[in-house]
Amino acid sequence: MAAGADLGSWDARTIVSNMLPLLVVLCTIVLWAGITLNEAEALLDEYGLLAVMVPTMVGAGGNLGTILSSRLTTRLHLGTTELDLRDRVLWANVAAVLALAATVFTTLAAGAWVIGQLIGAPLALSALLTISLVSGMSVAVIAVVFGLAATYGSYRLGIDPDDTTIPIVTNVVDVFGMLIFIGVSTLVLG
Amino acid sequence: MNFREGFWSIYREALPVLLVALVGGLFSGLVLEELLESVARFPGLLVMVPVFLATRGNVYGALGGRISSGLHQGLIPPEFEWNDRLVNAVLASFVNGVTISAVIGVLSWIVLQLLGWPSAALSELVAIMLIAGTLTSIVLIFGLLGILFGGYKLGYDPDNLVGPIVTTLGDVFGMVFLFVAVAVVEVVFV
Repeated sequence: MAAGADLGSWDARTIVSNMLPLLVVLCTIVLWAGITLNEAEALLDEYGLLAVMVPTMVGAGGNLGTILSSRLTTRLHLGTTELDLRDRVLWANVAAVLALAATVFTTLAAGAWVIGQLIGAPLALSALLTISLVSGMSVAVIAVVFGLAATYGSYRLGIDPDDTTIPIVTNVVDVFGMLIFIGVSTLVLG
Repeated sequence: MNFREGFWSIYREALPVLLVALVGGLFSGLVLEELLESVARFPGLLVMVPVFLATRGNVYGALGGRISSGLHQGLIPPEFEWNDRLVNAVLASFVNGVTISAVIGVLSWIVLQLLGWPSAALSELVAIMLIAGTLTSIVLIFGLLGILFGGYKLGYDPDNLVGPIVTTLGDVFGMVFLFVAVAVVEVVFV
């Protein structure tokens, strides 16, 4: 790799030294989700089906936030939008993200219900729908608020949102996903 | 573009991707449910799960974004070949992925000590993370590159593929290899 100087931002050493500190920061944030999960061990032992829902609950909020942010970022880069709350496309984006959340979390509850029947650890469909939709939609609203704030904030500050803001927001939203999911599950089942 | 058109175009575009991620999430949830039995042997194991999954997204999402930009800019060809840029990008994400895995093991152990919660030995937690992190890195790097290159040649925009591929492969293989790592460490550290 003698041509290291010509590689610019593709040099392995540059990539590692740029990214590793950010990764450690992100880890520290998401560790809170792990602490919450560990505390809920008794609940998970009793209702194994909740564990089946955990990876989606942790990831889905971040995914929804990313969809919104990356669409807004592209529009900002193209100069087609400013921070304008009367922008109709902005609200179409927000509404679509919420509709996607409603679809995904309804499907998650249905999927978990089917798995519950198959592995012999059933929970009522109504309980699963309540848990999945209440926590899922709350996380979706948080993802929308944080996604909007982060995109416009970094745009104003002149930082490329793809580099730092989006990863931080996705990870923060993931933590909220876990906290709310465990909280709602405890209320419904505990 | 009016509200209704904007809404449906976003919804239709993002839904298939989210549903694929949901199937991956449910599968990894099933593996997590199986993993609950090992928590008694390795207390604190659950603290590491969300961080480990989220980190897969952070590390390989960055790799995917880089490869996707490189393909768009014509900087790298869509082939597995000894290209300096490709080798550097792959090497960097491998180093990042394995290093941060070890960091997760150490951070989780420290948090468990600080909270005064029961904890497996530091060496056990770090060994689990190192084994799971290394195996996941290898599969994710080659899987991601293979799908991105193949998709690009078929005319798909790699930008739209990165997120869902990373989330789905990361969830599925992350949890499977975590399970494998726990089984290995259970045998080795008697």
